[in-house]
Amino acid sequence: MEIALLWLGWLLVWMFGIAVLLALSTRTSTLSDDGETAFVIGAGFFVGQFLLTLWMRALAVAGISFGRVSIGGALLAATAILAWLAWRRHRNMLVDVLRAAPRGLAGSDLPKEQRALRYAIVAWLALRFALLLIEVLRRPLYPWDAWTQWATKARVWYGERTMVPFVDASQWLAAPGTNLWFDAAPHYPGTVPLTQVWSATLLGRFDDALINLPWWLTAIAFGFAVYGFLRGRGLGRVGALVATWLVLSLPILDAHVALAGYADLAMATYLTLTAFAALRFVQSRRASDLVLALVLAAACTVIKNPGKIWILMLLPGLVAALVPRYGLRLAGAMFALAAAAALVLTRTGLTILGYHLQLDFDMPWNGLAEAYFMFANWHLLFYGALAVAVLAWRRLLSPELASLTLIVAAGLAFLMFGFAFTNARAWVEDQSTVNRATLHLAPLIVVWMVLAFRAWALPRSPAHPVHEPAAAGA
Amino acid sequence: MTGRSTISPAAVPPAEATIAAPPVAPTASPPRNRDVLRAASIAVAVLIVCIAAYLALAVPGAWFPRAAPKSAGVKQLTLVRGTGRVVGNALVVTAPDAAGIALVSVTTDFRSTDYPGIDWSVSGLREDADVRLLWRNDFQPEKLASAPIGVEAGRTITTVLAHDPAWIGHIDGVALAIHGTLPQRIVIRGVTAKPMGAIEILRDRLGEWFAFERWNGASINTIAGGKDYQRLPLPVLLALVVLASGIVVVAIRRFRPDAFRAATPALLAAFFLVGWLLLDARWTWNLLRQERDTAAQYAGKDARDKRLANDDGPLFAFIEKALAVLPSKPVRIFIASDADYLRDRAAYHLYPHRVFFDPRSNALPPATDLHPGDWLLVYEQHGIQFDRAQGKVRWDGGQIVNAELKLVEPGGALFLVR
Repeated sequence: MEIALLWLGWLLVWMFGIAVLLALSTRTSTLSDDGETAFVIGAGFFVGQFLLTLWMRALAVAGISFGRVSIGGALLAATAILAWLAWRRHRNMLVDVLRAAPRGLAGSDLPKEQRALRYAIVAWLALRFALLLIEVLRRPLYPWDAWTQWATKARVWYGERTMVPFVDASQWLAAPGTNLWFDAAPHYPGTVPLTQVWSATLLGRFDDALINLPWWLTAIAFGFAVYGFLRGRGLGRVGALVATWLVLSLPILDAHVALAGYADLAMATYLTLTAFAALRFVQSRRASDLVLALVLAAACTVIKNPGKIWILMLLPGLVAALVPRYGLRLAGAMFALAAAAALVLTRTGLTILGYHLQLDFDMPWNGLAEAYFMFANWHLLFYGALAVAVLAWRRLLSPELASLTLIVAAGLAFLMFGFAFTNARAWVEDQSTVNRATLHLAPLIVVWMVLAFRAWALPRSPAHPVHEPAAAGA
Repeated sequence: MTGRSTISPAAVPPAEATIAAPPVAPTASPPRNRDVLRAASIAVAVLIVCIAAYLALAVPGAWFPRAAPKSAGVKQLTLVRGTGRVVGNALVVTAPDAAGIALVSVTTDFRSTDYPGIDWSVSGLREDADVRLLWRNDFQPEKLASAPIGVEAGRTITTVLAHDPAWIGHIDGVALAIHGTLPQRIVIRGVTAKPMGAIEILRDRLGEWFAFERWNGASINTIAGGKDYQRLPLPVLLALVVLASGIVVVAIRRFRPDAFRAATPALLAAFFLVGWLLLDARWTWNLLRQERDTAAQYAGKDARDKRLANDDGPLFAFIEKALAVLPSKPVRIFIASDADYLRDRAAYHLYPHRVFFDPRSNALPPATDLHPGDWLLVYEQHGIQFDRAQGKVRWDGGQIVNAELKLVEPGGALFLVR
């Protein structure tokens, strides 16, 4: 019964997010666009999950205890209202999409080989997610930080039925009579622990394994969103599915699902979706895409502290897309400004977000080579990205690719700056942080690699049709 | 939608269409499955060449030697210098001797030319540990020869001696010397003299790639892809094969443009995706084995039993008893334990009580920070004493608080500060 409630509670969060997105959309024809349905389904989970945590924060501020009714009841009511609004607005289109779904899913209009390949990839992904689900539901919190700085907050907030303050050691020791709590990272944001509190609230107890269901759901929803975005970018159904498999098969990403409890998976997925939503807005100029981008960007800032910097890394790419005439020059100026600022900051020896800046350049090349090219963290991702950068270099700053190229470039520059000019270099040599930090950007690198390869390949293979037979919204 | 996505074949500029036209002429094109066969043949051929090239570099002597590997287990090992004891099938060395050396030797009987590689199975070493292989031969029996042994991921790696001038004649004995202090216990399982032929080296590489990589404390940071240290990582080999296969296809196309029906980018993508799939298959196989492992530990258990089945099960059992003594309303609790892991885990189990612990040090705060009504939980910590008669707890630095013992178990105690 509790397990059913857990699943139903998270399904409600997912439905709520989808209803929000559908209600936001004013264009009735949107859902018939390639990949739009998949994107809405995928992004819906992330919107729902983030809004859930905002609601829990509001309850805490209002002094209302966490409970199935105070959280779930409000979500249910909001979902019903939003779903009604969406139904009123898109009724015909929703009916069409639902009618076309079986055909699109079966892929009966695809050539035989492509259909077989599609089934094979779906089966392969199903096996992967079955294995990950078993691991998530069976294994209690395992990795170190999960139980020293993330779920610590969840346990207390669930126990207290509200958000109580975590403070550093000196504050805690200095205030013996007050209700203050301490853990290994009291300044870390509460968004991810709040999702565990919701799981525990649904279960009615704090189960070290079952509270981690959202990690598995995150990966599933992320798959839908990546597929939908790439379909919207013109990739065929098989091509988009292959790219989705590339993202979801990254071993370090899978490890963060199986060994749930860290915030890096959420950071990676929310950042990627923020970039997707922003790039969609640049193309569509729809208010719904802008709102989605802003909501997801806000989520990034309260998932992990580096999220505040990661969001800034999207700016050069977006500026380049929003102001096509001067975009590249503006982006170049932003890179130059960032480099100058970095140079000044490293001279000050400041500590920002826990990273101590230092001027002496000392890139940990061995650690990076091991992490990216020798260990099994990324399969062949960085080999492929390098090869594509060489093959497609003439097209990387084309109008079609410039935004994504600049986003990936800014992200890599941020990572390399951190590794070369801060105390994080030690965490590259000992392989303790390099892959987790890179995970935040990795899905975007995969998407960029696929789109850049296509940009290079397309003019060379005109005999191969770009478009497959249409299937509405698949 | 992007501009590119809306391009239809008809919209391609005539020049490009013309360039691409010959390969797609229906009568001249080879069938698609022939493409698959040819591409697969190229990839397999390139793989064979790459492996052959690797073996040419890696095999130090004969490719197909007659000698078989010779191993010596823990029973044949002698701890000559240092402190240690046999635990199960391993020799556990806990400290070096007064000169800072730990020395383990074994008597051997083989010809140096038959066995160019010596592989000690040693774990628990620092990355910068000074470890050396020592040996004597019958050619210069009075001379003790030595060579450095590499350490990777805390383990010794095979030492290749084929080109060492002292590796001659008959080898009568080999030894392992570790210089300096030992930060932790060193576990020695034995030593193997290896002929290092092509088959053995290939078997070793396969063993490294497909070794079961169980979840461990570092898995959240790094996936090694088999054994922690690999002489030839599988991603490197596959990347090389993909690259070389791509180059071969481009070269063939240059001389025979109609060799393939598929476009070059499609072939390059296919090589890349197959390489990725092979790595993913290995990873999936590892996940399957992990599920079996996880099931053995946790299947069929409820949340409490899972905690008891964890590595810190005994600690959790103690905390359960402590929770029965503690008030139900959250109270302030200080935690003392020598091990970071146990201290941090104890804190986790005690939430939502208001727990205080130092995540990275076993030092307790000064006694002045503990107030009446606070609690103190001690688990496997040295240097803390309780004077029952006086009702006082003392710890390092002359810190003393008045306290009442509320719970005591082997290794753990719970106090209420008065």
